[in-house]
Amino acid sequence: MTLEAEVQSLRQVPMFKDIDPARLKLLAFTSERVQFADRQRFFSQGDTSDSAYVILDGRADVLLTTPTGEIKVAELESNALVGEMGILSDTPRSATIVASEPTTALRIDRRVFLELLAQFPQMALAVMRELAKRLEQTNAKLVAKSGS
Amino acid sequence: MEKSLFRYIWTHSKRDQILVCGVVLVSQPFYFASLDLPRQIVNQAIQGEAFRDGQATAPFLPFTLSLPGWLGGSSWHIFEGFQVGRIGLLLGLSCLFLFFVIVNGAFKYWINVAKGVLGERMLRRLRFDLFTMVLRFTPEALRTVKSSETATIIKDEVEPVGGFIGDAFITPVFLGMQALTALFFIMVQHIWLGLMALAVVAIQFTIIPRMRRELLRLGRLRQISSREFAGRIGEVLDGIEAVHVHNAYGWERAEIGHRLYQLFDLRLQIYNRKFIVKFVNNFLSQLTPFFFYSIGGYLAIRGTLDIGQLVAVIAAYRELPPPLKELIDWDQQRLDVQVKYDQVAQHFSEERLAPILLGKDEAVDEEPLGGPLVAEDLRVADPHGGMVLDGASFEIPLPAEVALISGGSAAASITAQIIARRMLSFGGRVRLGERDIAQIPLATAGRRLAYAGIDPILFPGSIRDNLIYGLRHSPVGKFKEDEREALRRIKEAQRTGNPIDNISDQWIDYELVGAKDEEDLDHILIDLMKKVGMGTEIYLFGLAGRIDPERDPDFAARLVEGRQRLRETFQAEGMGDLVEPFDPRQFNDQSTIAENILFGVPTSDAFRGRNLAENPSFRKAIDEAGLFDDLVHMGIQIAETMTEIFEGLPPGHSLFEQFSFIGAEELPEFEAILRRRRGSDDSLTGEDRTRLLSLPLAYIEARHRLGLIDSHLKVQVVQARGLVRTEFETAEAGVEFYDPAKVCSAAPVRDNLLFGRVSYRVANAQARVAEAIAAIVKELGLLEEIERVGLDRQVGTAGRLLTAQERASVNLVRCLVKRPDILVIDGALAPFDETRAQQMISLLIELGRGRSLFMVLPNERQASGFDILMRFGDGKITTETKALQAPGPSEPNAAQAEEIAGEVA
Repeated sequence: MTLEAEVQSLRQVPMFKDIDPARLKLLAFTSERVQFADRQRFFSQGDTSDSAYVILDGRADVLLTTPTGEIKVAELESNALVGEMGILSDTPRSATIVASEPTTALRIDRRVFLELLAQFPQMALAVMRELAKRLEQTNAKLVAKSGS
Repeated sequence: MEKSLFRYIWTHSKRDQILVCGVVLVSQPFYFASLDLPRQIVNQAIQGEAFRDGQATAPFLPFTLSLPGWLGGSSWHIFEGFQVGRIGLLLGLSCLFLFFVIVNGAFKYWINVAKGVLGERMLRRLRFDLFTMVLRFTPEALRTVKSSETATIIKDEVEPVGGFIGDAFITPVFLGMQALTALFFIMVQHIWLGLMALAVVAIQFTIIPRMRRELLRLGRLRQISSREFAGRIGEVLDGIEAVHVHNAYGWERAEIGHRLYQLFDLRLQIYNRKFIVKFVNNFLSQLTPFFFYSIGGYLAIRGTLDIGQLVAVIAAYRELPPPLKELIDWDQQRLDVQVKYDQVAQHFSEERLAPILLGKDEAVDEEPLGGPLVAEDLRVADPHGGMVLDGASFEIPLPAEVALISGGSAAASITAQIIARRMLSFGGRVRLGERDIAQIPLATAGRRLAYAGIDPILFPGSIRDNLIYGLRHSPVGKFKEDEREALRRIKEAQRTGNPIDNISDQWIDYELVGAKDEEDLDHILIDLMKKVGMGTEIYLFGLAGRIDPERDPDFAARLVEGRQRLRETFQAEGMGDLVEPFDPRQFNDQSTIAENILFGVPTSDAFRGRNLAENPSFRKAIDEAGLFDDLVHMGIQIAETMTEIFEGLPPGHSLFEQFSFIGAEELPEFEAILRRRRGSDDSLTGEDRTRLLSLPLAYIEARHRLGLIDSHLKVQVVQARGLVRTEFETAEAGVEFYDPAKVCSAAPVRDNLLFGRVSYRVANAQARVAEAIAAIVKELGLLEEIERVGLDRQVGTAGRLLTAQERASVNLVRCLVKRPDILVIDGALAPFDETRAQQMISLLIELGRGRSLFMVLPNERQASGFDILMRFGDGKITTETKALQAPGPSEPNAAQAEEIAGEVA
């Protein structure tokens, strides 16, 4: 798998889909591709947010730590972006991510990511658009919930 | 320092000066003879005067001693000479002339060498004296003395003084004799022509020095300006951070530009003046021959002067201007260096210096420093005249742990400095036991007292060098050196007032710290470093350090063993994919192409980084391996990708530095290369290819993932290794090759243990590998050896390669390792946060049981472990003895404390 293939994967991520190919290539180039063994943790709840991951191949579970132990709340598949909220808001990890099979992911460093956003407004806009969309969805869900 | 340069020179070198002068005197008759011979050759042999009366032969080499006319004019024939014919006389006299030329040359050679040696010895003495004075600068003087100015004085400004010293007495004697001889000779030939020459010389000697006075003034200005210039550069460099932070480039550049203009202007004025003087001087020199030719020629035509005489006068006069000119130059130089010397002496004036340092040969007191510390009526004023301490007194029984609670005032720190003898100008008295603390001999104070201030002062060198700095008071063991060489060294040192100690001697006093040898001392150092919380750092420094397998073959063998064990562990625990080992027959995906081709570590810059692409041996090897075109092609692909993805980033952006193969400033150049290449690969120049070749050398497939390496290329690269090895075995050794069974001394310890590269592909691989290494290191007992390598870590200028906390730790351990009777800590813990500082304080108290500790603390929060609290207010000091931990060096208590300390050391 080469840089080109990673760029293709990044393009599948909604947050990155409108970004210029050359920029995506830069994002991929400045990221690291890492492999996780089955059950290896990407990061744990409460860790400092130092990076985001795009899953290139494989699967991962999202776990929440509760008083009764860890419970699985979601499952991530290929092309999923995870950990981006933490690096944008500079808050600790809100959940634990564990590979549920041998998984390859692209690790985007927080500092590099923020520098790219600062440098290229088009990227920043794409990220904002995605965040706004999520907010809208959340609002819609809230309305639906309070309506029901 | 002597006020007059000449007195300084005379005091220290009169024997040599007199000797050389004597030789100069002895050489003069030979010189005179060589002047007289041309006349004899022309008159006696060529014109045949010796054969005037039809004689067939004439005496050659007769030796007659005759008295001048006014003494009776009698003469004795000592040797009648050989009877020779006309041709025989001509050849005989010519050969004699040649003989005198050689003798004169030999004299000149000896005199020049002797002068040079004399000057160099005096320069050594002068520089050493100045350095000794540097050590004596008082703390007050140091506020105004600039280090870079002082350095430039000792190095540059005294250089011409030294060059002059060899000439100081000899040149005027030598040249004066020559000039007088020539003048005398002219006089003997013809009194009037002689007087004429003398008159012109007199004019020269009055006018020229007058004209040069202005030159001296300019020279002095230039000396001061150059010194300030050097000082200013030093200042800017020391304060470079402020220059960067406040964007003061413009100002600093203009400031330096202005200084350079001033220097230029001064030099210009000096040139103008100097060459005018030269012009006048040359003119006056040529005036004499003018008279000789016109008047002497006239007299010759009239027949009152024979031609042989005139030729001899003119030949003699040719000898006159050079010594005269040099004599005038000497006089100029004399004034010049006197001015320089005065300036230097001013910099080292007595009022800036502390009393002469002794203490080298003193014996250290056997008794520990103890007894009550009593201060009476301490008075210290701040620079504005306010009283910081005003009649303060205290009495403390030692040993004790004393906290000096500053409460924000400077008084605590000043008191600490007084106790540590760092501050000498204070009113009142401080006694330690029977003695005034100022009376404690230097050697004893250096051994038994330690002070750690807020600025840790580290010297360039290894951490170990810095830690043992306080253990090198005087040589305790002799280094075996060649006896003759040693004799010569010591003799030279004695002749120049330098110390005769050899720095290769054993200076480190192991006994002082209770160590048996070097290894034992390292134990102690490492142990202390661990205690102050530097254990991890020292271990990591050790892993990053290098070892010399020849010096320590045992450790090298164990490293190789560790390498195998590590590999086994990785295999056994399913961590095999974490590290890709170096294998002579396998391409390593986690290494750069350069490393893969070299299969070793460069030891010289010609083989590092991009230089490799230009290295002819390397080029030859990859050419033979058929790799060149492939690599250039890879370079093109890398350049294309880089120019594409880094386009639009501003130059200097941190992403460039971190990720790009191509620097921002090179981007346009590579774009041009790519454009040129668009036609065909043939349109690339040789230089283009070299630049393109440099790109893939740093390429790591697993990290950069451009998909540029296929299995065919891998095979080629592995094949190229053999070619590189044969090529480099013949070339200058610039690469140390990897060998699975050997330690590579050019690679860090860590790489030697791993003997491979950590995978970029596996998540969290670095941390897991580090853990595995730590486990193996512990298991095989390599830890201590590695920590010893860690002590070799270079600290850089002023310790800048270390962090502030590391510097402070080194500073503390340097004090602790001496096991001082009294340890004064004044702000040395500032870089540590409060928790860590509190740990350090407990540690210091613990380590110092049975000895005394004085520590300046900002407030009482950290003072719980101390016996005595000192508080400062209104210039007074109040002491409070903690009731629970009653002071008093009761016998059993002290003995017990010694024991603890012994364990620590």
